[in-house]
Amino acid sequence: MNSQPVIAVQSLIKTYDKVEAVKGIDFQVAEGEVFGLLGPNGAGKTSTIEILEGLRPRTGGNATVLGFDPDRQKQELKDRIGVCLQATNLPAKMRVQEALELFGSFYTRSLSSEQLLKRLQLWEKRAAFYETLSGGQKQRLALALALVNDPQLLFLDEPTTGLDPQIRLEIHGLIEEMKSEKRTVVLTTHYIEEAERLCDRVAIIDEGKIVAIGTPRELQQKSAERSRIDIVTGQPMNGAALPQWPDALESKLNADGKSLAVYSSRPARTLFEIMKWLDQQGMQLEDVHLKRPTLEDVFVELTGKKLRD
Amino acid sequence: MRQYLAIIVMDIKLALRLRAVIFFNYLFPLIFFFTFATVLRGSKGDMAFVVTMSVTLGVLGSGFFGAGIRAIQEREMGILRRYKVTPITPAPLLVGSMVTGWIIFIPYIVLLLLMAHFLYAMPLPTHFFQLLVFISLGLIAFRALGLVIASVANTMQEGTILVQLFYFPMLLLSGATFPAEKFPRVMQIIHNFIPATYLVQGMQNIMLKGESLTKRENQLAVLVMLLTTVGGGLISTKLFRWEKEEKIRGSAKLWVLAVLAPFFAMGIWRWFHT
Repeated sequence: MNSQPVIAVQSLIKTYDKVEAVKGIDFQVAEGEVFGLLGPNGAGKTSTIEILEGLRPRTGGNATVLGFDPDRQKQELKDRIGVCLQATNLPAKMRVQEALELFGSFYTRSLSSEQLLKRLQLWEKRAAFYETLSGGQKQRLALALALVNDPQLLFLDEPTTGLDPQIRLEIHGLIEEMKSEKRTVVLTTHYIEEAERLCDRVAIIDEGKIVAIGTPRELQQKSAERSRIDIVTGQPMNGAALPQWPDALESKLNADGKSLAVYSSRPARTLFEIMKWLDQQGMQLEDVHLKRPTLEDVFVELTGKKLRD
Repeated sequence: MRQYLAIIVMDIKLALRLRAVIFFNYLFPLIFFFTFATVLRGSKGDMAFVVTMSVTLGVLGSGFFGAGIRAIQEREMGILRRYKVTPITPAPLLVGSMVTGWIIFIPYIVLLLLMAHFLYAMPLPTHFFQLLVFISLGLIAFRALGLVIASVANTMQEGTILVQLFYFPMLLLSGATFPAEKFPRVMQIIHNFIPATYLVQGMQNIMLKGESLTKRENQLAVLVMLLTTVGGGLISTKLFRWEKEEKIRGSAKLWVLAVLAPFFAMGIWRWFHT
């Protein structure tokens, strides 16, 4: 992480009347990083991101974004960031290119609408009214609007929620492009695969608290969940003769004796020992799979909830 | 300045693409104009009454529906939320709404006066330009009032009720649709407290009596409209909300009365001087 974080959050609190939506969270985001806030609906993700965008005042704690205080330097901050909101709209009769030109005029610096339209594959739709766009096109326009001031920091609040899988993949591709351009991206999502695919680091947020933070791999490794090794052999194995492999917690042999599932806390070591044993037994290995705990497993383990709860 | 200009240009384009805007700004008042002009044609006074009624219909429609209801719609649909994430402040949006309304409305006024002159032989007002200035002030004042209503209404339902509470009394008791001289005494007192009364009377003074804006009563009407515009602009900026989730407390609705204060003061003044 660079010495000067793009975002620094300390003991951040947000209260609505008597409901504490964000309960004293801390995190930092480095320049060029794609940082994910992962959590179920109502976890506090949107409240956190909207405080950082300068859209809502915080109740307590400190936050700086690009060196600005989002509460006190709203306009300066908004001029420098790009935001793709979870729920938003444009006038039905506004044309795609007009929207980009209008929003571009609000910033001290803006990219050409032509360049953005071509990049976001909206050039053919430049003269179309907003009301005629499909869900995916509207979302691409929302991303184009977020990029209109060429921001170095982007906030994407659930950018693919409600979109079909193919369009979701398209949007993932666009976010990967932003990542390759070294832009800093803060992304909220409740799609595990989105966080795993796109994020350098993820904070798992639940009931207003960060319950885990790290790279997707670090979070998976921290998990107490067991990895599963699936072995398929050419000849049947003798269930009674199976050894106790190092770090193996449980073994299950299928009725045909050819498919074996071994659960392990240290799968690399266990797998190596299994391979050695199979070789000693003169068994022919036909297939092997190692399944590590997913981010979803980690999430369920930490929060006791499914992500879509 | 770039923001103001971009919003005004966009607002004009959007307005001209909406059939409802064309209907309520042009066709609806024109239907009234042709109907009443055909029935009442003949005398200068009657045609001035028809023109005044058509203009008042347009001004009130533009203020309450064009500015007020549209602002609530934009908030309810999440359009203002998209503006909120940009560095823009409420001022360009509010000023844009007022200026756009004026740009769209003024050609209609000129058209209406020319039609009254050429089709129904109404003499053109001596102070034609001053009449346009006066109507422009009225339009902007009523758009400011519409924007304040949008600021204090938490939902479209609330906004619609508030608009109707203002729209119909102003239409019926201002003298725009029925001659105020024929009102009973109690209604004449109420008539003095209706903001649209000053718009109607000012127009009639200029068109029928040939008065200019320098006449004392017209000066006062100009003053209250200016005060309403400034007060309405400041209050709607202060109470501006970008999202439908941001609710305003019930007592804030009293700000509408603050905007109307100049008209109340005028009503009291006239009560004691007539």
